[in-house]
Formats: sequence, C-alpha cells, structure tokens
Amino acid sequence: MGLRGLLSFNTIFFGLPIALLASAAVEGRVELPKSHSAPVQAKRYEIVTHAGVLSTQPPLAVVYLDGVFPQPASLPMKQVAQKDLTFIPSLLPVRVGTKVEFPNLDDTYHSIFSYSPAKRFDLGRYRPEERPIPTQVFDKPGLVTLRCDIHEHMRGLILVLNTPYFVMTDTNGRFRLDGLPAGRYTLKAWIDSRTTREKPVEFKSGQTLHVDFP
Amino acid sequence: MRSAVRARNTGVASFRTQLFTAMMVIVATLTALGLYFAQRKVTADAAGNLQQNFQAELSSLHKLEELRHAALADRCHALAAKPRIHAAMEDNALDLLYPSAKDELRDLMEGEEPPPEQAAQWLHARFYRFLDSTGAVIKPPNPYDVGQLDTQTEAQLTLHKLPETQQIGYIQENGDAGGGGAIDEVIAVPIFSTGTGDLISALVIGFKPLELESKHTGAGMKSGIWANGRLHLPSLPKSAQASLNDEIANKIANSDRLQNNFVVNVDGTPQLLFYKRLNPDSLFPPAYEICVYPLADSMAQLHRLRWQIGGAGALLLLGGFVASHLVALRLSVPVKKLALDSEENRAQRKRAEAALASTAEELERSTRYSADASHQLKSPVTVLRVGLETLLAREDFKPEVYEELSVLLHQTHRLTGVIDDLLLLSRMDAGHLQIASTPVNLSQLVDEWLDDLAALPDSPDVKIEKEFPAGLFVAGEKRYTSLIVQNLLENARKYNRPGGRIRVSASRACGTRDVALTIGNTGRTIPRDENIFERFHHCSTRSAASGHGIGLNLARELTRLHGGDLRLVRSENDWTEFEVRFPAADGVNAVT
Repeated sequence: MGLRGLLSFNTIFFGLPIALLASAAVEGRVELPKSHSAPVQAKRYEIVTHAGVLSTQPPLAVVYLDGVFPQPASLPMKQVAQKDLTFIPSLLPVRVGTKVEFPNLDDTYHSIFSYSPAKRFDLGRYRPEERPIPTQVFDKPGLVTLRCDIHEHMRGLILVLNTPYFVMTDTNGRFRLDGLPAGRYTLKAWIDSRTTREKPVEFKSGQTLHVDFP
Repeated sequence: MRSAVRARNTGVASFRTQLFTAMMVIVATLTALGLYFAQRKVTADAAGNLQQNFQAELSSLHKLEELRHAALADRCHALAAKPRIHAAMEDNALDLLYPSAKDELRDLMEGEEPPPEQAAQWLHARFYRFLDSTGAVIKPPNPYDVGQLDTQTEAQLTLHKLPETQQIGYIQENGDAGGGGAIDEVIAVPIFSTGTGDLISALVIGFKPLELESKHTGAGMKSGIWANGRLHLPSLPKSAQASLNDEIANKIANSDRLQNNFVVNVDGTPQLLFYKRLNPDSLFPPAYEICVYPLADSMAQLHRLRWQIGGAGALLLLGGFVASHLVALRLSVPVKKLALDSEENRAQRKRAEAALASTAEELERSTRYSADASHQLKSPVTVLRVGLETLLAREDFKPEVYEELSVLLHQTHRLTGVIDDLLLLSRMDAGHLQIASTPVNLSQLVDEWLDDLAALPDSPDVKIEKEFPAGLFVAGEKRYTSLIVQNLLENARKYNRPGGRIRVSASRACGTRDVALTIGNTGRTIPRDENIFERFHHCSTRSAASGHGIGLNLARELTRLHGGDLRLVRSENDWTEFEVRFPAADGVNAVT
C-alpha cells in the first residue's frame, strides 16, 4: 500500500471541517507483532484469538489521539457487513456515538450479538433481504467483540474511541495522522485487545511530528 | 486262678476301651475338621457370591453412568461451542452465562422425572451451575431456572481448580436438619474454549443418583451412598444408619483400598457390607457405594450344614462304636489267647527260675565242697612233706634212709600234683571252670616249658626240634594253656627212649582260625585200641614211665573248654604225635 493509498484512505474518513482547523500532523511506525501465519496476499484481514487476545491477522494497529474533543451534532453511519461468513471490515475504529449498520451480504442467516461491556446487543437472526438493515449506536468507548450466534467462528471488532483523530496502520505499521490540533495530548496505539501503547505528544501548528511505537 | 481270669478280662476290656477311645478321637477330629472347612467354604462362597453380585450390580450401574457421562460430555462440548456461552465467558459477561445457557440446557431441567430404568438416557438434572476459572461457583441470577440450592449445598460444588476431565461427586443437600437430606450425584464437565482450547469453565450438573436395581439380587439387599462422612441409606432406620456410619467411616479411614467388604450387625442380624469408591481420583470428596446384604440365607445354610455334618459325625461315631466293638471282640480273641499264652509262659519261667536257683545253690555247694576238699586233701600232704623235709635235713641217718626219704618226698610232690589235677577236673565236671580268654603267647610258653624240661635232673638224652614262629598267639587263659602244653611235653619226655628226639611245631592251621601245636616224640607207640584219653587210664604194658592216668584227659578237657581239641595224630614206627588246636587270638598274630 503506497502513500497515495493511505492518503486516499484518510480522505474517506477525515473529509471533515475539523481537519481544516488543524494544521499539525504526526507520522511514524508501530512495531507490530510478528505474524504467525503466512502473509496474506489479499487486502483482507481477519480477527484471530490467541490465548484469549483478539487481534487482526495480519497484525494491524489503530493509532489515535486521546483527549477531550467537542462532540459533533451528527456522525456519519459506518458499516460492518457480513460477507463470506466474515465481518468486513473485521476491525472498525469509530468515534463514540457512531451508528453502525450490519448488512448481511451472505445467502444465509446471521445472528450478530455482543456481550462486551462496552456494548451489549443482540440483533437476532436476520436474512440478507431483511429491511431495515439492523443498526447499533456505539455510545461507550471500548472494544466491542462481534459474534454470530449461528457461525461460531465469526469474530469482528469495533473499537469505540473518544476522539475523531484515529487511523489504521498499514501492515508494516506505518501511519500518518493529519489535521491535528496544536497542544499536548497522548498518542495511543491499539495493537490488540490486551495491548495499547501510548506516548505524550505536543503539536505545534504546521509541524509534522514523528512518533514511533517500539 | 479266678483272679487271673478276672485280670485277663479286665485287660481285654481296657484294650477295647482304648480302641474305642482312639476311634472316637479320630471321628471327632474328622467331624470337627469337616465342620471347620465346610463352614469356611460356606462363608467364603457366600461372600464370593455376594461380592460377584455387588460387582455385577456396580458394573451395570457403571455402564448407565458411562452413558450418562458420554451424553453429558457431548452436551457440554456443544454448549462450549455455543458463541453466546463463549462470549459470556470470554467477554467477562458471566451474568449472561445462565441466560445464554438456559435455552441450551432447558431440556435438562424441564423433562419429566424419568422412570428409573431410563434414568441414564434421560438427562434429567436437578440443578446445574457454572464454575469460574478458579473453580468457584458462579452465582445464578435466577436460581429458580437452574435448580434452587441452599448456600451450603451450593458451596459443596466448588472445586479448588477447574477439572480437566469429568469429575463425579456426591453432595448431600442440607434441607433436612437430621442429615437425611437427599444425595445428589454431581458431574463436573470441563468447558474448553473453542477459540483457544483453554479451559475456561466447568458445568456442574446435579442428578438424582442412579440406584442399584435390587431385582436380581434377592430381596434383602440395601444400597446407599456414603459421602462427606455421612451414610445415606434411606431404607435403613436412622439409628442403624448412625451406627453403620461410624463403622464405615472407621473402615474407610483405616484402609486405602477403593473397595472392601466386612460383616456388620444391623438390628442384631449379621449383614455383609460392601463398599466401593464411586469417584476414584475425583476432585470432589470421596464417595462410596454401600451395599448391605443380609447374611440370613448363608447363615441358615451354615446352620443346616452344621447340623448335617454334626449328624454325620454322630452317625460315624455310632458306626465307629459298633465297629470298634466288633473289632475289639475280634481282636480280643487273639489277645485273650496271647494273655493265656503269656500266663503259661510266666508259669514256665517261674519253674525254670526255681530250677535255676536250686542249680545255682548246688553249684555253690559243690564249689564250696571243692574248696573244702582241696583244703582237706592238701593240708595233710603239706604236713607230710614238711615232715619229710625236716627229716632230710637231719644228718644222723644212714644213707639208705635219705634215699627212702627223698623218694617219699618226691611222692608227696606227685600227690599234690594229682590232687590239683583232680580238683581241676572236678571243677570242670561241675561246669564251674570258665576260661577268661586273653591272647596267650604260645611260642613263648612252649619255649619256657622246653627250657624247664631240659633242666630236669632225670632228663633222658633226647634231642629237641623246634619248628614254630615267634609270637604265635592263641586265645586262652594262660595257666590252663600252660597246663596243656606242660602235660604234653612231659608226656613226650616221659615216654621217650634214650637217644630219641622230641619235635615241637606250631603254625596257623590252613583254612581255619586255629593254631595247631604238634608235639611228637620217639619211643614206644600206643596200641591202636587203647583209649588213652580216658580218665585213670593206664598203659596196658608196664613201663618205667610213671603217671596217674588223668593228664591227657585233663589236657583234652581243658583244650575243649578253650574251644579247641586234642587228638592223637599217629603212633607208629617209633613215633607218637599229638596235635592240639587252639583258637587263634584275633588281631594279634600279625604275621604267621
């Protein structure tokens, strides 16, 4: 994935007025755990559980700027689809208050639920053509594990964050966040369900900070 | 005589009594042994049968339980695979565990209580609980759905760690204050995460315990369970349970065996109690299946057997009595005869003893007589000789008187010799003479006598030829052996002619154990028809030689007394030869 791809990826998520107010940026690399399986050629990745720890495979991290930021009036709806008996995307970072819809793109029933403390819900069994598409609003920060009651192997993660500034790394762990407000913050890197690293940062307008998470 | 018969009869009777007593002892011993072994066999058989029964029952129970366990294992595996259970465990939403499992386990709780024979197929649980990762019970939000348990009972489900395999335990519900609360069989089934394979929880399910079916075991069998130090055997009265409980607790505490059996007393009747550990190696406290079988049947059998064997023993004894009586009668005939015979023998012996005594008396008398005679005869001769010697010592006699005195003195010497010979003969005749046999050196003896002969004053001019080895020993008493040799040598000298010779030879006789001494001399021969060995025999022809006619007789008698013999070998052509045979002395004639 080249820089162009990453930028376009960011454009999708951050085409927001807030970005215009900010001028600082941060870039760097997160040291990702070694992948246990052969590298996947496709761009898809999945959620794996190892010794009770959920992570993506191949490993990816979510880098976000922790802090208190004004809550916008509305947030765009996100989507976690079920396709080929997997969640797509399998890891979705969202801002608190985001509504996520769960379209069923398979030819079979799915029954998505979560027992996670951050969000408990149970969509019940639904078919692909069922309308409306079931949705949930994630109003508490935390990690939500998505499961399907029918397909026990299916796992999805929604990382509910307090901040609008977050980005997923590429498979090498590289990231870049633009349009950040100046000031002192904590920059965090979520690596798996048990590991989140953090570093204090101070942004100045027009500056690009380099931060690596070892 | 009558008393002897009575004594004999008493003897026979006592013999009969002894025989009968011996038989009785044998029969009694056999009966006692028979009783002992039969009793042991019956007891062992009964115990063995009941043991088999118990094992068979237990194994059928075991099979049922295995079915149930297999069904439960499947159930739990399926349960663990359920994403909701998984989610509840992994996402720390234990409060959702019971609601999530409720649907899955609904059929466990809701089924009708099944008839006993289908209990294994029907998984009708009384309650279930989940254990958290430390083995503690996760409290159900709504106990009604999962089977209500009081706190103490629920606490018994806690394990000190999660089990990796199915565990069986038995808990007692404390609902009843008297301790008679129902026993529940609980099965803890591990739940592994399907995602990680980790042991994340356990499901503990409580059932009504399977009971031994008593239909093939005889009516009296009672079964129960001993768990947590308490006996649960509802078919027994409380008091009996309490006392049994202590006994079982004792036995189990003192034995590390998983199963055993022993005899107990329940309400005064003996029962055989079996126990077997129901949950070996379980994380739950040990529990034992208890089975009590009444021993009444085997006791009755034992009783019957005792009577039978006792009766048989009595019959045997009676038969023995009759048989011993008959045998004693049969045996007592020869015994009686024996007694009679021995009586006769005794009488004979008495007579013989009396005869012997009188003979001994006679002998003693005759011995005394010999001694007296010897004294009476010898004393005057001695007086005579001493008188003659005194006269000879005087010097005032004419020379012819001396000659006469000397002849007389010589005659007294002869008289002494004759008296000695006669006394010896009389002792021999009386059988008083006994030979104290010792080895006697015959060669030396002969040499000595030959020397003496040569020294005699009136020795005729004879040549002596000796032909015997030195150190030839014979068995005899020296003074008598010497007397024999003396007699023969004197004869050989006495009856020799002037210028003649005497030949003495001795050797071991070929092929016998005897030593033969041959003494030959020249001179007048003995006519063939003369019996020279007769006492007081005198030669038919008068000669110069003097003799009193008992020398040869004495020599022969003495030789025979020694076990040998004396005979005239030949007497012809101017040569007379005697041969004496003595038994050789054993082990002394080393070389001959």
